[in-house]
Amino acid sequence: MSLEWRIKRVVDGDCSGRPVLINQYLSFFGEVDPVKGVVRTDTGEVEIAGKVLVFKGSRGSTVGSYVIYALRKNNVNPCCMIVKEVEPILIAGCVLAGIPLFIAEDFEKFSTILSNEKLITHRAGDDHVTIE
Amino acid sequence: MYLTPFQERMLKGEFGWVYAKALEIIVKVGEALGSDRLVEISHAHVSGVSYSNIGEPGLDFLRDFYREMPRFRVYTTINPGCVDYGMLSQVIDNKYLGKQALIDEALVGMGAKPVFTCIPYYHRPPLPGEHLAWGESSAVIFANSYFGAMTNREGGPLALASALTGFTYYHGLHELENRVARVLIKISPLIYNKPLSLAGLWIGENVRKVPMLEIKEKPLYEIKALLAAMAASGSHALAVLDGITPKGTYKTSIEETITLEFSDVEKYIGETPGTSETVLGYVGCPHTHPEELVILRRLLEKYREPKRGRLLVTMPPEIASTYSSIVRLLLSRKVDIALGTCPVVSVLRKKYDLMLTNSGKAFFYMRKIHGLKVGIASLKEIVESIYT
Repeated sequence: MSLEWRIKRVVDGDCSGRPVLINQYLSFFGEVDPVKGVVRTDTGEVEIAGKVLVFKGSRGSTVGSYVIYALRKNNVNPCCMIVKEVEPILIAGCVLAGIPLFIAEDFEKFSTILSNEKLITHRAGDDHVTIE
Repeated sequence: MYLTPFQERMLKGEFGWVYAKALEIIVKVGEALGSDRLVEISHAHVSGVSYSNIGEPGLDFLRDFYREMPRFRVYTTINPGCVDYGMLSQVIDNKYLGKQALIDEALVGMGAKPVFTCIPYYHRPPLPGEHLAWGESSAVIFANSYFGAMTNREGGPLALASALTGFTYYHGLHELENRVARVLIKISPLIYNKPLSLAGLWIGENVRKVPMLEIKEKPLYEIKALLAAMAASGSHALAVLDGITPKGTYKTSIEETITLEFSDVEKYIGETPGTSETVLGYVGCPHTHPEELVILRRLLEKYREPKRGRLLVTMPPEIASTYSSIVRLLLSRKVDIALGTCPVVSVLRKKYDLMLTNSGKAFFYMRKIHGLKVGIASLKEIVESIYT
């Protein structure tokens, strides 16, 4: 069974992948390794390469935009990012790297229905993602 | 987005692809945020300068631009690099000197003033209401909160694009309507005598709205550390400082009052050094201001050399030359001095068990980047734990 979830397009594009939920704000500099393509959390490393990275939004260093760009150049970037809120550092990185970026409607509810088994797909121009 | 004829010509590539690409980045980010026009800026501060932070992808990005020989259209300063430009430090590893020189050549070649510092306001304090495009989260929040200037938290590439074009998107903190303090934070006397970094880390992690802080008669270096911690552990770009933030650059509409107690911030004190541990004392995140240098001189005068570990102090090259007599005294006390860099953006030569610092920003990053245990302490406590 598939479900459509409303999103706001910030950086548009096609993408499809398994979600990985990091339920916090992230400083891409310091908390993301752009060579390995992992997020360093308090409980260990989480792979994000090729995944739909779902997190609350960005925080911390303004170098974060370059880290997002480096993820793409190193071919370990998430296929897209879905967040609760955006700020310039995150948008600049996604624009530069060409990584689609969306704001999920009712982020808390959206984050609770995700599990690793699900597949999230977005087609450029759509105001929703499909969860199946 | 509305563009002037001049901006249209730039976007079409009349001045070369570099300016077109730079303006395209600004327009795209602005449109994503709902901005309808651009604003002229008078000072860009570019972050993402250190090779150990931006790596080969960032170096290639900068060199691709530089190859076309563009020039920055506004006054531009740059963040610290990953090497000690004074070449005296035993703590900072200069292994990327060659790579860093390529980045520096590109940025300075495009017209940046080589200040290599995260406190660009030391070189040029901005005016109230002045539009800026600054990267470096700690400098952004200081520019807005202390000077009443107007800048968003620009990512490194966007600040570079603004340096090239002279514009940023008109949105966010460039508009007075968005500079509204909504949460009043009172700091209990029990915290007030501790490094304000502790409060900064808590506010960064727990408050999303623009806060108003009641801090009176605190020295500049404490305010610098407080704001930097907020911008590292959170995404704050403005905190209204009662009695400091220039009037007319903010509004207030307080919806909530929070009183911060010591129990809220206690966990950020972190580790205290054990007797057998090697300790790296660290002052200079954000970079050491002359005010802190004067205090360090007073604290260090009575000692001869460290009893354990080292005290690392980082500052802009220009402060070291202006205050060379203080720097000489610090060197005579075997303080490790690194210029134009810091441990957050560089590689360390040696592994220490614990870092003791007055910086909440260093507390936030050093554990994540270098895997160090970190404790927060006052300048006096740091000096005493290294020298006694």
